[in-house]
Amino acid sequence: MLGMIMNIDINNSLYGVCPKGWRNVASACISGGLLYMLLMFCGLGLFSSNSIAAAADELNCVLCHKYRGLSRIDEKGDFRLFYINQGLFNKGPHKRIQCKDCHTDIDKIPHDPAKDVDCTVQCHLTEPSGEEKFTHKPVAEVLAKSVHGTANMDEEEIEYPEDYPYCTDCHDQPLYRPLSFFKGQAAGVSERGLSRCKTCHQTGDFAEDFYNHVTSRLQKMRVSAEIVNLCAKCHGDGKFQERHGLQGNVVASYWETFHGKAAYFGSDATPDCIDCHVVYGENVHSIAGKDSRTSATHEANVAATCRASECHANAGEQIAGYQVHTDYDDPDKYPMQHYMLKFFKYLMAGVMYFFVTIIFLELLRRLFPNFSFFKPRKEIRQTTISTAGNE
Amino acid sequence: MQRYPKIVRRNGKRYFFRFSLVQRMQHIILFTTVITLALTGFPLRYYNQPWAKPLYEFFGGIDIAPWIHRITGLILLALFLFHTGYWIYLFFKNRVGRLIREKALTVGNVIKEFFSMEMIPNKKDFYDLIDMFKYLLFFSSRRPHYDRISWKEKFDYFAPYWGIPILGPAGVALWFRDEITQYVPGIALNAFYIMHTDEALLAAIFLFFVHWYNVHYSPEKFPMATVFLTGYLSEEEMIHEHYDEYERIMKEEGLELEIISQNH
Repeated sequence: MLGMIMNIDINNSLYGVCPKGWRNVASACISGGLLYMLLMFCGLGLFSSNSIAAAADELNCVLCHKYRGLSRIDEKGDFRLFYINQGLFNKGPHKRIQCKDCHTDIDKIPHDPAKDVDCTVQCHLTEPSGEEKFTHKPVAEVLAKSVHGTANMDEEEIEYPEDYPYCTDCHDQPLYRPLSFFKGQAAGVSERGLSRCKTCHQTGDFAEDFYNHVTSRLQKMRVSAEIVNLCAKCHGDGKFQERHGLQGNVVASYWETFHGKAAYFGSDATPDCIDCHVVYGENVHSIAGKDSRTSATHEANVAATCRASECHANAGEQIAGYQVHTDYDDPDKYPMQHYMLKFFKYLMAGVMYFFVTIIFLELLRRLFPNFSFFKPRKEIRQTTISTAGNE
Repeated sequence: MQRYPKIVRRNGKRYFFRFSLVQRMQHIILFTTVITLALTGFPLRYYNQPWAKPLYEFFGGIDIAPWIHRITGLILLALFLFHTGYWIYLFFKNRVGRLIREKALTVGNVIKEFFSMEMIPNKKDFYDLIDMFKYLLFFSSRRPHYDRISWKEKFDYFAPYWGIPILGPAGVALWFRDEITQYVPGIALNAFYIMHTDEALLAAIFLFFVHWYNVHYSPEKFPMATVFLTGYLSEEEMIHEHYDEYERIMKEEGLELEIISQNH
């Protein structure tokens, strides 16, 4: 049983770098499954007093899910890990949500394989501004109407329904992401900021929790390169692009721009996909295709997108003409770039072949400095030398 | 301006004047800026190569390195402007001045003087090139008799002198990308980008390969030709590389009898 315990440090398994089967460890943890192990402990309840047990864990799910090796190979052959890192969970946005609020089909312990979580269900949390039960449903509705959803399409139009993203395709491991940074600014709880809250809210961890909750929405959770890698999961796949009639390798062409290179070198002030493809100040879930009039990348809106206050605020309207996703191999679509690059390539090839040939011949000539196929007669040679200065 | 003797003797050997102090200083500024620009520029072009990130981090990473690149670029542009002013000054002082003294100042003569300047390619360069190929391909055992500036050196000279006006303004335009789009269409930024990076690659490969072969790697120069520091070239190098000039100077200095043949 314990032989299955694997030495996995999930805290350090950075989002996006682990293999596919591992990427979903967090959602796997939450989505539950069969408890083949540790069943006997559950009945005894001997280990239920855990000092860092989640505040909302009334059902004591961590009794079993606190074990790092809690895992199995599922029917599809994927490795599933059901371990919950309580330290991380308690820092996350779902800290006050009970397990059963999302895993609604679990009603006994030990439980059967749980269904996938539906993010649009109502939780038992009341949304304070409207006194209504909280749900992610409005976000899901915005997403459904965007270019990433199928709500605005006829049924015949939907060719590859499995390609459209669900919440967890992007928000796959919010709990296990390292400390985040808003563009250029350190994130986390400001002790000085917090001291103002604590003037009144003195009981328990209330101030910390709500300060975290509110500010986490204002933090940029991922650096630019992470966002690009996230979008690249689908848009970096040539077959995917082809299936949906999208232009070329947009991820590779992004990396070739200054934006991409700065992101590659770790800048978090450089724009990623979202910064240009979401209308400034709008919900990120509402991305529209570039043919849609409301799209940030519609030709009528590009200039406004580039000239957003934090970006190219002083630029002229004409900045819209800059071609971000240039494919240098496509002479029909990008003739200027294609032929300019070709010109420089041929120029360099010409210059270098010429000089490398000369260098090679010079080195060869050094071996036989005075040899010649055509020996000049002595008097001619003399004349040549004596008149050389008068040429 | 300081006068330089055409021939100096050190330890019983003759050395021939080539570059004045001002020219040597210009060259030092040129190569330090170009190397710095290459080191802070190419990691960006080849961002996904394993050496790119450590090299870029060495220059301060994405926050600092671009500023080093821009400031160094400005110094190089200033050098370009200075050099342009420098040769125009010399042209008027030495050549136009002489025409005025000789009362022969006509447009035709000025153009003629311009094309007879030592850096301007001429007919002799073409014949030298043919002589060189004859020698290299074993058709003749006579080396080309280059004058003061050989066609190779003219190529070395015009590589940066045409490269900087292409690279520099394109770099400045990319630096001030916001302001520039108020006057030029956005696609010009795509063009500037290609001009900047691809001309830079051509320049760097040419300089670090061909030019450095000529002055560093080649067997008789290794590890380093010293003329860029001393301003003077040894007699042996003069005979090999500038035989026409060598003969002329020796005659001017009254040393005809001591002229050494090239195939000695």
